[in-house]
Amino acid sequence: MGDERFRTKVAFALFSGMMFIGMLLVSVPSGKAIPAFSRKYQTSCTTCHNNYPELNDFGLAFKKNGFKFPKDDEMFVKEAVVMLGSKATKEAFPEAVYPGEIPGTIPISFRYEGNLTWNAKQPEPVQTVGFVPRTDLFVPNTFTIISAGSFGDNLSFWIDDDISAGASGANGGLGDGWLKYSDIGRMFHLPKNSLNVRFGQFELDLPFTQARTPYLSGYDIFGQGALAQGGPCSATETVCQTTNNPFVLGTPQRGIEFGGYPNNGNFTWSVAIVDGTNSAYGLSNTLTTRNTKDVYVRVSQQFNLERDPESRHAIQAAGPTGPRDHTSIRLGAFYYHGDNEQNYGGSQFAFLNTISEPFYRVGGDIRFKYRKLELFGVGLVGHDDNHLVDTVAQTIVPAHAVTFTGGFVAGNYWIYPWLIGTMRYDFVNSPSDFINSVSEDQTRNRFSPGYQILLRANIKIVGEYQYHWGVPYTGATGLTQFYRPHMFATGIDYVF
Amino acid sequence: MKLANLAVKAVLLSGAVLTIAAVGRAGDIKGKVSVQGLKSPVNIAVYVDAIPGKKFDAPTEHVVVDQKKMEFIPHVVVILQGTTVDFTNSDPVGHNVYWPSISGNKKLTHNLGTWPKGDKKSFQFNDMGVAPLLCNVHPEMSGYVVVVATPYFAVTDKDGNYEIKNVPAGKYTLKTWSEDGKPTTQSVDVTESGATADLTVKK
Repeated sequence: MGDERFRTKVAFALFSGMMFIGMLLVSVPSGKAIPAFSRKYQTSCTTCHNNYPELNDFGLAFKKNGFKFPKDDEMFVKEAVVMLGSKATKEAFPEAVYPGEIPGTIPISFRYEGNLTWNAKQPEPVQTVGFVPRTDLFVPNTFTIISAGSFGDNLSFWIDDDISAGASGANGGLGDGWLKYSDIGRMFHLPKNSLNVRFGQFELDLPFTQARTPYLSGYDIFGQGALAQGGPCSATETVCQTTNNPFVLGTPQRGIEFGGYPNNGNFTWSVAIVDGTNSAYGLSNTLTTRNTKDVYVRVSQQFNLERDPESRHAIQAAGPTGPRDHTSIRLGAFYYHGDNEQNYGGSQFAFLNTISEPFYRVGGDIRFKYRKLELFGVGLVGHDDNHLVDTVAQTIVPAHAVTFTGGFVAGNYWIYPWLIGTMRYDFVNSPSDFINSVSEDQTRNRFSPGYQILLRANIKIVGEYQYHWGVPYTGATGLTQFYRPHMFATGIDYVF
Repeated sequence: MKLANLAVKAVLLSGAVLTIAAVGRAGDIKGKVSVQGLKSPVNIAVYVDAIPGKKFDAPTEHVVVDQKKMEFIPHVVVILQGTTVDFTNSDPVGHNVYWPSISGNKKLTHNLGTWPKGDKKSFQFNDMGVAPLLCNVHPEMSGYVVVVATPYFAVTDKDGNYEIKNVPAGKYTLKTWSEDGKPTTQSVDVTESGATADLTVKK
């Protein structure tokens, strides 16, 4: 019985590990570049992006302004919009429908990504449960449709959906889909852009976007869930721990968000109330419904370090060879609080009511920019309440919380405007991962050096090598051994 | 005797007046540039090539090239060697102006930096050739400064028409420069009543 249970645990651990690695390969960030804006303003992607989809300072200001040029937007628009009512109709409101506008042409863009992958050789026991070929000449990754724009004064929208993810014909899922009203605070005589509201499905206001990262792989800490030791309670267990929280910070959530960027956009704040159930997003078994709602809060302050005051207050700094991003340091903090609920209607333990397990994620971030160099990082702590259930005695008592810490440090360097070197170090310290035999020790670390080559403003070749932590498996000797599932991927990425 | 002296003086004076008038008489060179293989005959520079033994002082007035709605205005400007061009910014975004070369000579590259709306930066073009104007943040922006040896030049309109004013009578070489077409050369004989010269620019 003991051997069988151990083999089951090993198999589960290996399966989890393979799924995790698979998610790293498959869950490459959905495209957030938006060539529709390029068409609207007849301008290059580089106006807003320094390495799409990463935004430069101007692109950030454009986004914060509801996808409009920060000043005098009308004089830059090359595509006529369709007015849904003349401007004078504003005065007729509420006796008439308030006038708005829609883009003159349907603002649709597409993004396609696919990679060649090379994987480290797997030991035979690993191959039997989750075979991955040494090389795969082309793995179609995602084909994403994006639509975004402005509906006139103060209203903006964004919808993106992975039409295909991971393989030909595979169904993706809705990433972001929201409507935003900017500067609603002026109704309360607040400073410009100090209060905006967004409703729908959206990525949380993370310090560094998971969905719009230019890297091939997502940040490990943003994909970390919480699972009690030994995995979820099984039918054969008489005593088990309960924590089984699939919530991850890096997946889109559904709800409403209030936020603002006063002080010239240098200070940002946001408060989101969300279901906390993750979005389907093309991944299975991540949607868990519950009655409770979660809250996410974030604040950040950017300090522009340009010496020239005029340059410091401009949207972009005035460099000697042209406008560039400000030399700056940005500090931020975030907090997520939720209440995971299980055992609705006694579905798992008939003798218990709903089990409530509050959890939180708290962290800080820093970003430094100087000329062609960008350094940034995140540190995060996760904490889930946990319980011990005795199915024989039919009791439940609190147990040690499930905790984890982790984050990443990363750097990008623009050797040329079209050639970027990247480096990232991800680390996740999770005692539960260790107990569940997902990692060699309590820490999962990886180095990920990479490169990005912009063949054109809308086409790039990306590459990343991942040097991974040890994954356990049962060797021929019957002992637990480890191997490193290193991986190299390089591929194409284009938008239009 | 007195009358004869007067007559001689009158003849000499008349001759001088006529000479001065003849020398001061200038005409306009007009014409039409047609294109083969190009989308449009607009913005083609037409100019009188260097005249042997003749040097022209650069004008004191500056020429203005503006940046507005993410475009260089005018798209093509022709100037006499030594002219100063003022680059202004009428957009509420930061722009800069640089050229990677002048007629392919990368040693003559220059970057004027960045300036906000309302400001300007000036540059005196002392080297002959064509400077392609670029903005390093908005790569779709482009313009051209064509630096020539004489003050006799024009830029075609959307129909390819051009007019070069006040060209002294004489025989000259007319040249064209265009963004996408090959240069052309044509002789032109300018009289007191001017001259007409139609040219063809090919891809």
